[in-house]
Amino acid sequence: MNDLENRKLEELLETVQRPARYTGGEMNAVRKDWNSVKCTFGFCFADTYEIGMSHLGMKILYYLINERPDALCERLFMPDADMADKMREAGVPLFSLESRAALNEFDIIGFTLQYEMSYTNILEMMDLGRVPIRREERAEADPIVVAGGPCAFNPEPLAPFIDAFMIGDGEDVMHELIDVIRDGRVAGLKRIDILRNLAKLEGVYVPAFYDVSYNGDGTLKSFKPNDPAAPAKVKKRVVKDLSNAIYPESIPVPYTEIVHDRMVLEIMRGCTRGCRFCQAGMLYRPVRERSMERLLELADKLQQSTGYEEMSLSSLSSGDYTCLPQLIQALMDRYRDKRVSVSLPSMRIDNIVKQSLEETQQVKKSGLTLAPEAGTQRLRDVINKGVTEEDLIRSVTDAFECGWSSVKLYFMMGLPTETDEDLRGIGDLAKKVVDAFYRVPKEQRAKSGVRVTASASVFVPKPFTPFQWAAQDTIDTVHEKQAALRQYLKLKNVHFNWHESELSMLEACISRGDRRIGEVIYAAWKRGCRLDSWNEHFKFDQWMGAFEDCGLDPAFYAHRERPYDELLPWEFIDAGVSMAYLKRENEKAKQTQTTPDCRHGCNGCGLHTWGVCDWVKDPPLKGKAKTSAPLAE
Amino acid sequence: MKLIVVFEKTSRLRHIGHLDLMRAMQRALRRSGLPLKYSQGFNPHILLTFAAPLSVGMPGKREIMEVPIEGEMTGEAFLGKLRPALPPELPCISARAVDDRHPAPMAQLAAAMYEAKLDEVPEGLAEAIPAFLAQSEIPAIRKTKTGMKPCDIRPMIYDLSLNGDALRMTLALCEKATCKPELLLSTLFDFAKLERPHMIVTRTQMFGEKDGVFYPLEEM
Repeated sequence: MNDLENRKLEELLETVQRPARYTGGEMNAVRKDWNSVKCTFGFCFADTYEIGMSHLGMKILYYLINERPDALCERLFMPDADMADKMREAGVPLFSLESRAALNEFDIIGFTLQYEMSYTNILEMMDLGRVPIRREERAEADPIVVAGGPCAFNPEPLAPFIDAFMIGDGEDVMHELIDVIRDGRVAGLKRIDILRNLAKLEGVYVPAFYDVSYNGDGTLKSFKPNDPAAPAKVKKRVVKDLSNAIYPESIPVPYTEIVHDRMVLEIMRGCTRGCRFCQAGMLYRPVRERSMERLLELADKLQQSTGYEEMSLSSLSSGDYTCLPQLIQALMDRYRDKRVSVSLPSMRIDNIVKQSLEETQQVKKSGLTLAPEAGTQRLRDVINKGVTEEDLIRSVTDAFECGWSSVKLYFMMGLPTETDEDLRGIGDLAKKVVDAFYRVPKEQRAKSGVRVTASASVFVPKPFTPFQWAAQDTIDTVHEKQAALRQYLKLKNVHFNWHESELSMLEACISRGDRRIGEVIYAAWKRGCRLDSWNEHFKFDQWMGAFEDCGLDPAFYAHRERPYDELLPWEFIDAGVSMAYLKRENEKAKQTQTTPDCRHGCNGCGLHTWGVCDWVKDPPLKGKAKTSAPLAE
Repeated sequence: MKLIVVFEKTSRLRHIGHLDLMRAMQRALRRSGLPLKYSQGFNPHILLTFAAPLSVGMPGKREIMEVPIEGEMTGEAFLGKLRPALPPELPCISARAVDDRHPAPMAQLAAAMYEAKLDEVPEGLAEAIPAFLAQSEIPAIRKTKTGMKPCDIRPMIYDLSLNGDALRMTLALCEKATCKPELLLSTLFDFAKLERPHMIVTRTQMFGEKDGVFYPLEEM
């Protein structure tokens, strides 16, 4: 950014909401001399600072890139609407927080794809940052635009805009990607040749090298590479040993409050449960645990470098971590004097050990969040959520006995085979949780009374899950179900939250979309859509207009059950889980048959053939009851 | 004992609010490994007081906070620990160890000096200042919790001068009477009938008062 732009920026910072999120200068932010490195990486999070700064993946990659002496990484976030408008008006480009470099000054810009409804922000950020939005329009000197993260497993909706996608664990592929681009730039290679070299890397998908054709009914006909450098199947990257993988020892500590303002220890990646709706549970396979020694070492370093007063453990299913009680005990012992509290998010309800709960309480009592997902045992069996009502009631009773008073329950509506009885079941379950509180003796339970919050999101079928072929409920059906649920949840001490069904429908269109959905995203952005996941900015009618502009029907993507023989837009990605396994699971769902946790025996999801899954050869917990995992000494 | 610490809130961080700055300092102190004192209660926090909150948008050259600690320590030793725990944009300038009974900076605060850097100096401003100060009363409208209130700011202006492109002012800042630089500036430009150029106002120094003389607050 030049001096004039800088001066204009200073002036407009005085007129926008919450300017501190645009000024950087945080503790542990890395500022390197641009002349001292060979490659500059602009890490973009397509949402506001408060959201993006809470994201672990960004912290890992920011640290990883900045550890390289030959490269630097700076952060860019989506400005809020007022800021974006004023920047455009004043001619101030999207800039990095560290050295206020314009987006188009970077060699590489990388977007992390966390949720589909941030995609218009990607276009807005590129436009504000003076980077041509369509990859074909980029000149030799423009940055190479890359993207990764969970949504990259179906990259097609963003194929018109992204030069190269990284599929799988970012830590595993990032160095290779930077090396290829650095070397290409230094050698003066043409953009297309750099992309060709990228396509040769395992786990990298370069959409320019693939051709797509469609059948008359709109379904995919063929998807083929058009260049020898491009593989027919792109195989996801996997960090094999999490304990030895890089993990940030320091992270930028924001001044303004962000969503998750604490240090995060990722204790485990992946999940063995096999819930059939859960995309993360499939994408992040196999399960890899970080050793306790490594976690304690990281905790110490993070605590010293950040000064944070709160630490959270992160994983898809923290309760499954082999040495959870010992880990919690060790963290408590270490940080009691330093007044660091430890919180345990995303706990599964069937193995919260009371001991852990008591430990947590010693420092801080955070709210308890449980996700039964469905209201009846039948439907929980369909989705393979291996949790019973008894488990749930036991967990909340334990928590209430330890003084907890507020419980959040997460449900989904619109799951395959759902009936009114399942919706009634949600109300019944909420009621039983309230009753469980009042069954705890008065002197033992919290004096504040109980508060149960039931949230019901709308089921969105996702790629690489057994439900990837399923139809989503139409908006009208969802509205009817929400109205019914409101009745069933009119209960004392129970509060009900629901999600916008329009947003969920768009999410369904994009998550299972093909390349043509990219044009819808472009048209929506042209019509002024951005910050779609923020209620006040979401413009559903403009999105519908965008579908019309492109001659596409949202129902084709969201509400249609897809046959097994249809070519899926993401089928060229090898995520490890096989189509055969996903079909098998989908059929079992129809029969209301459950599949056990693969810690108790391999279910042959496909990853067993990769040699990366610890649970195949020697499942450490095989045959043991879930809550009595062998305790390490 | 306790430490009287002088630090700078640099221009880059001028949009950080007071509560955010407090939290940033608390975290810096936690990183420092210093023997801090904590409040009692369910969510204990580090004991720490600032001499005066700084407005959002305003940098501060010599801001002051008071940090109680356990045990004895020199100012130098304290600085040695705190410095590496602070980001470059929030440097700490000095620290002075005093007895627990030493009066709090907040209680001794009397005035502060500000410097407004003008993007351009309007013609006629230099001439307007002496005339402005020559008034025996300077009526202004002060925004208070209960609404707009007329007041006389003349007794709260201790100094006002134009040096190149910088307007320097020393204004009352204490419990009894406070004149914010913004109030002075708007009154001044209204009086001079001049359009206000863009400017950044920095608090450059805080003062305590003894026998009618101002001393830097950190030395009181």
